Amino acid sequence: MDSHPIQLHIDDDLSRTRLTVFFRLLLALPHLLWVALWGIAAFVAALANWVLTLIGGKSPDGLHGFLSSYLRYVTHVYAYLSLAANPYPRPDGRPGYPVDVEIAPAVRQNRWSVGFRIVLAVPALVLGGQLGAATFEYGAGARGGGLIQAAAVLGWFAILARTSMPRGLRDAAVYGIAYGAQLWAYLFMLTDRYPNSDPARALGELPAREPPVGLEAGGELRRSRLTVFFRVLLALPHLVWLALWGVVALVAVIASWVATLFTGRPPQALWRFLARYLRYQTHVYAYLYLIANPFPGFAGSPASYPVEALLAQSGVQNRWKVAFRILLAIPAIIVAGAYSGVLWTVAVLAWFAALVTGSMPEGLRNAGALALGYGVQLGGYLLLLTDSYPYSGPYVRAQTGPDPSPGGPLPALAPEPA
Amino acid sequence: MRLVAKATVIAVGAALWLLAAHLLWRSSVPSGLRAPRIEETHLFTAAFLRRSSSYERFLEVERLLAIVTLLVVLALYARHGQRLMRESAAGRVGTGIMLGMLGFALVWLAELPFDLVAVWWERRHHVSHQGYVPALIESFIGLGGTFLFISLALAVSMALAGLTRRWWWALASPVFVGLALLSTFAGPYLVPNTHPLHDPAVRADARALARTEGEPRTPVLVQDVRRFTTAPNAEAVGLGPTRRVILWDTLLDGRFSRREIRVVTAHELGHLAHHHPLKRVGWLALFLIPAAALVALATRRRGGLARAEAVPVALFVFIALELVTLPLWNAVSRREESEADWSALRATRDPAAARAAFERLATTSLSDPEPPTWAYVLDADHPTIAQRIAMVEAWRRRAPEAAGEPPGRAAAEPAAGGARCAGQERCSSGAPERRYSSRTRLGALASQASTTTSVSSPTPIRSRRTRTAG
Repeated sequence: MDSHPIQLHIDDDLSRTRLTVFFRLLLALPHLLWVALWGIAAFVAALANWVLTLIGGKSPDGLHGFLSSYLRYVTHVYAYLSLAANPYPRPDGRPGYPVDVEIAPAVRQNRWSVGFRIVLAVPALVLGGQLGAATFEYGAGARGGGLIQAAAVLGWFAILARTSMPRGLRDAAVYGIAYGAQLWAYLFMLTDRYPNSDPARALGELPAREPPVGLEAGGELRRSRLTVFFRVLLALPHLVWLALWGVVALVAVIASWVATLFTGRPPQALWRFLARYLRYQTHVYAYLYLIANPFPGFAGSPASYPVEALLAQSGVQNRWKVAFRILLAIPAIIVAGAYSGVLWTVAVLAWFAALVTGSMPEGLRNAGALALGYGVQLGGYLLLLTDSYPYSGPYVRAQTGPDPSPGGPLPALAPEPA
Repeated sequence: MRLVAKATVIAVGAALWLLAAHLLWRSSVPSGLRAPRIEETHLFTAAFLRRSSSYERFLEVERLLAIVTLLVVLALYARHGQRLMRESAAGRVGTGIMLGMLGFALVWLAELPFDLVAVWWERRHHVSHQGYVPALIESFIGLGGTFLFISLALAVSMALAGLTRRWWWALASPVFVGLALLSTFAGPYLVPNTHPLHDPAVRADARALARTEGEPRTPVLVQDVRRFTTAPNAEAVGLGPTRRVILWDTLLDGRFSRREIRVVTAHELGHLAHHHPLKRVGWLALFLIPAAALVALATRRRGGLARAEAVPVALFVFIALELVTLPLWNAVSRREESEADWSALRATRDPAAARAAFERLATTSLSDPEPPTWAYVLDADHPTIAQRIAMVEAWRRRAPEAAGEPPGRAAAEPAAGGARCAGQERCSSGAPERRYSSRTRLGALASQASTTTSVSSPTPIRSRRTRTAG
């Protein structure tokens, strides 16, 4: 598959300065003002670019360069503001910032696509809103709630504590920024390539990890229109069953918590029961949110579903981490909240897409899998299946190779040991 | 020899079935009751009769077409539905559940145009003011309930079929009857937004009527439904200690006189006094046992109900049986309604109020007082207005001393009559159930038994469109 004409480049070592981080919002104010002022000119230029591209079939080089500079500058500023990068950005949008966007030269565009650009961009704007990258200057940051903003807030505390940005949070923010750059490049007529929500495509190189709890999202991209149309209702029996199972799981997790506190490891029987519950929950949500196609079973059996929670057998857990599990999980719950918005949006967009095309767009599937995978990690952490903290960014399985093939599985974790 | 044994078992089973049916069929309405012939032309104007007839005929034909569509869709699904098995990774029972739900999803899609046409027709005649979108949403949500029900039913049936193969039906029927009993018992706890009667006069009437009907401990509650509907209604729900009468607050909003409310309350108490909810469970059992056996027989060619691919066939057979037995269900329902009417007349001794209420109900809901026989047999789960008024007159003849004032009636209260309600959109009650689509009829497994016997029909609040008054 061709690389996207809007590519993000990351050259960041994760180290941060406490002083500039503490005052980051205030330090960014001049840039935000400049973004707004430049944005007025960019808005006019974008309108002109729309008209001229519609007439000529290609964005004029001058306008293309002007809007590219603006987009690059906005990317720098929001990388700085969201703590995805450390140095103070230049005000001219010149390339070379640690989180930078490379924009391909102007090429001919489909006039129909140009003419209806605003309408066509609506789904991407909706998803961008959930990622925190949908307003003119990624202004969703002002209202909070997006993935970028959640990562920035949590990163702020983390950096003040240890002078470096956690990689997962940085990558989560960068994923949102990358999608925002593609989205605004599309709206500015810098390209007619639709924004790609696939984390692997947006970020290019992903870290290889092998956490004890994760997600494997495979299976075909074909979707049955009939089951998609009635997906929510078809999931109802599962949701009822999941709720009933959840009541028992709550009791089990309390018992497991007490036992783990004393013995340092969860009892095997409880671990297996809770693992099965988490696996079943993953199947149900994958079905509900259209990440997978087939109707799942009711037992949460391993390796029975295309989207699978991968759970490494439990070992000894740190008792302090066990004792304060709920409190420790709060930051992860905040990130999970942001990801749940992404998941809902993916499901709604995929519902329309699948009804029309009979298949799930791969980018959406993988974005949904990322969000669902974070929920699985959090679930594993809360259910005491692991004491490994959820990793917030996209990643690939340690032992698997390069990019997934279209329709193939998203790189994921090692299978559960027998 | 084996054949003889089989025939004997079937004969004994049939005899027991008939005996049970006979016992359930018994009614306290005098068998020799001579109800006078009531000419609808004496009750209503010619213009009204023309209008109500046109209104009802359209809906009846539309319902028939919906039934034909339902059967065609299910027949096609029985033939080709197994192809959808590829959409499942759920194993035998899970896949069966999915196929069951998808069958009803297809039926819902096929019946949607008919539903919308019915909404249009009712709105055109000002019988309903429900919007198209709310109707659609309500219908979709109702489909969710059907999905849950069919999931449970198939999970039980298929699990038993996996264990016992050919004889699952003999075990499944008692399980379903048990579930119906449980549902009937627990149903009252699930009725939302209820509170005790506030009006002291109505409360006193209810207490007195409950004593008269032999139900002194049965509470009479009010349910707030005004947000959803203007239709007045009431229902009798529960079993044993959970028995109660529920009056909709739309019945108490001033459109109905105190005497009419007494009639309605007594009617509902009459249902409970004669154990109609329990009898419904009995009828359900009588239906389920042979129906489940026939389903088992019909699915043998696909390996029995233990296999998921048999589910579409099972759906088709079961729904077809429900439709075939529809006249029986309606006859049972009408008989119970008549008994409740009779019970109300005996308790209130106020035929004037009863008659006025029935007349008004007809005019406000455009109910045809004398529908054609085929529509009556297929569609009417309440007696016609003419029949109900005829019963009032028959009661009056048998107890002429009661033709005057009812006991305990407030002296200053105006005589009961239709004037106060006339011209309003929906006064409700006593109407035949409008639809017998797959959804409502399959829901019968739960609802026929579980709940309601009502002054009109067992109307879920949000499904009023399909079961308007009459």
